[in-house]
Amino acid sequence: MAPDRAPPPDIVCRALDKRFGDVEVLAPFDVTFEAGKTTALVGPSGCGKSTLLRLIAGLDTADSGELSIGGQTADAVRGAGGLAIAFQDASLLPWRTARGNVALAQRLARQPVDRVAIDALLNRVGLTGFLDTRPGALSGGMRQRAAIARCLITRPRLLLLDEPFGAVDELTRRQLGLELPPLWRSEGTTTVMVTHSVTEAIFLSDRILVLSPRPARVLEDVEVRLGHPRASEMMEQAEFIDAFKTVTAALERGEAQRQNALAAQ
Amino acid sequence: MIRASSATVHFPGTRMVMGAVCVLAAWQGLAAATTGALLVAGPLEVINHIAENAGLYARAVGVTLSSAAWGFLLGNLAAVVLAALAILRPRAQGVISGLALLTFCLPLVATGPILRVVFGPGEGPQITLAALAVYYTTYISVLVGLRAVPATWLDLVTSYGRGRGTALWRVQAYAALPYLVSGLQIAAPAAILGALVGEFTGAERGLGVLTLQAMRDLDVTATWAIASLAAVLSIMLHAGIGWIANRVLNEEPPLILAPPVARGKPNYSRSGAATGALTALIALSLWWGIAEISQLSSFFFKRPDDVWVFLVSSDTAAQNRAELTASGLETARALLPGYFAGLGAGAGLAILLTLVPGLSSVAMPIAIALRAAPIVTTAPLLVLVVGRGAVGSAVLVAVMVFFPVLIACLHGLSRAPGQVLDVMDSYAAGRWRTLIYARLPAMLPAFFGAARMTVPAAVLAVTVVEWLATGRGLGALMALSASLSNYGMLWSVTLVVAVSAVAGYAAVARLERAVLSVFASEQVQ
Repeated sequence: MAPDRAPPPDIVCRALDKRFGDVEVLAPFDVTFEAGKTTALVGPSGCGKSTLLRLIAGLDTADSGELSIGGQTADAVRGAGGLAIAFQDASLLPWRTARGNVALAQRLARQPVDRVAIDALLNRVGLTGFLDTRPGALSGGMRQRAAIARCLITRPRLLLLDEPFGAVDELTRRQLGLELPPLWRSEGTTTVMVTHSVTEAIFLSDRILVLSPRPARVLEDVEVRLGHPRASEMMEQAEFIDAFKTVTAALERGEAQRQNALAAQ
Repeated sequence: MIRASSATVHFPGTRMVMGAVCVLAAWQGLAAATTGALLVAGPLEVINHIAENAGLYARAVGVTLSSAAWGFLLGNLAAVVLAALAILRPRAQGVISGLALLTFCLPLVATGPILRVVFGPGEGPQITLAALAVYYTTYISVLVGLRAVPATWLDLVTSYGRGRGTALWRVQAYAALPYLVSGLQIAAPAAILGALVGEFTGAERGLGVLTLQAMRDLDVTATWAIASLAAVLSIMLHAGIGWIANRVLNEEPPLILAPPVARGKPNYSRSGAATGALTALIALSLWWGIAEISQLSSFFFKRPDDVWVFLVSSDTAAQNRAELTASGLETARALLPGYFAGLGAGAGLAILLTLVPGLSSVAMPIAIALRAAPIVTTAPLLVLVVGRGAVGSAVLVAVMVFFPVLIACLHGLSRAPGQVLDVMDSYAAGRWRTLIYARLPAMLPAFFGAARMTVPAAVLAVTVVEWLATGRGLGALMALSASLSNYGMLWSVTLVVAVSAVAGYAAVARLERAVLSVFASEQVQ
């Protein structure tokens, strides 16, 4: 971990409540994300995973409840350039090259633009030879690599990933999932990630929270007992298979509860 | 098209009322502030005046609306047929679009008098000009709509072994309906404008005739009354069509800003120059063919070779050219500053409105309503206010350009791609930096699309105001040539104006392509 940087924060959510019109997305929601760990949020579509992520990022505000990021508010962390978020679509600016997109993040975070660091990072995420290419000419996987580079260049203390590899094919997805996480693990970052894929959640995280259908509750809190760095062979380890079974069972439990609730109405 | 096709613009009732009240209050205030100057008649005065002359105005409105309605019908019918043809014969699309644009760029100020001679008295010229004023925008809208169909839908039709015609009828026609409605919304005010200009050329009845009378008598109240009537009619038609469409289609018509920069499918595409040359050749043949087939007197219906003689090979050719050039320069001096001022003001205001949250959503419906007002009919008013110099013409051109650019830019600013705005927000980038890094670049395609589409409108505005009000430039030269039966000059000016407008359009399109290749690369293949 770099000495000039505050340690990664923990994230404490207390009684968070968020509704969109009549739809209750989070109804008193409590959870703590440990500092320096990667936590995956898994749950059915529309259960409120992304909403939670957006609340942490300060992109939305909760109707009530408390959210503290290492004792600070989301706005304070954002303002200090301590936060980075990646979405399912890479959301690169189409008129800027890969380099230009990464440089913009530094500028927005009010950091000096460090050309050497940018080029080094882009090479490390595997974009060698495409530094001056615009997103339109990059493949889906390459765009996600650039988006991750954009996130990491500001050396955020908090990294938020909203299905970061959701828009690419299975093979690329697995490749990105193996290659990229070591980059942010080595930086000592608190990472929260949303995913639909149980396999991806296990591969990328230290802890998995399985959420129920709306309004979200934590159904299961699973610790992933695999070493780092992760490798594809780990899929055959008992720890992997146990985690997979636990998470899948919890998801099925949630679905059954939802069906029961519907039938009861 | 700048990906605006799927966007909708809402017309919340309260906002419209608020907007209308603001406009009326500003107007009344202006009238009160300039009392005695005989420039501005306030809304109360105007309503009184209309009430006192209710019968007269009702008859005039009836006549104008009838011409506009016929022109609207015929022009839109032609537009739909042309668009269908362009889709069925992709190879011909470039030429069809080129011819359509060229016809649209013909200056109404010249075609009006020529049509008057062809048709004599009656409604013929009004209806034709109304049709000419509407067909291009509808053609573009329908074409955009027909092309907006996902390729997989067409593949589905093909997979059942059916052809292009079936695809057009079963799939594309329905998909294009909302776009057609958008086109019709823009067409309604344009039809009224066309009918008015037709009436200016020597009709016996209608709002256009009353306008000329009011101008001659320097009747400020009547001038304001007619401009208001035309504006209210246009806005009502625009809103009415939107309302009906909403009921029938159950969706808001898309906001169409500009057609995509012309490009064919790669395997069909001729080079731009070849398409241009072919279009010019066909246009010349059509011109000559119509003249020969219709047996119209070559005294007033000049052939291409007559124009050549007039401008190049006759004894007075040099003098003719000099006269045309002098007027042309005069027009350019009003047109260019006005055009660029309109672009700047439209984009500038859009940016300002975006910086104040909430303001742009209030401004949008007002701007859309005001765009529907036939701005050219305010020419007499404008000259009353700013005088007969080049400034008057420039201001009118600027106003004409302003509204479409404002609407396009507001729209462009509101839609940065993907979740880019969220990314900006996650760095707490703030309003200014989000504007500079994300919104402004995202606005550029919309801006250039509007800049291109407003070229013909700007030319129309400058020639009409020169003709009706300032008595300078090409507009006045056309009017003078028409009244002196100097048809050689009239046809020459018409040709020069149309070709210049097309050239201006093409120049902006070129610039637009360059910009799009950087800022919206997915749209230029």
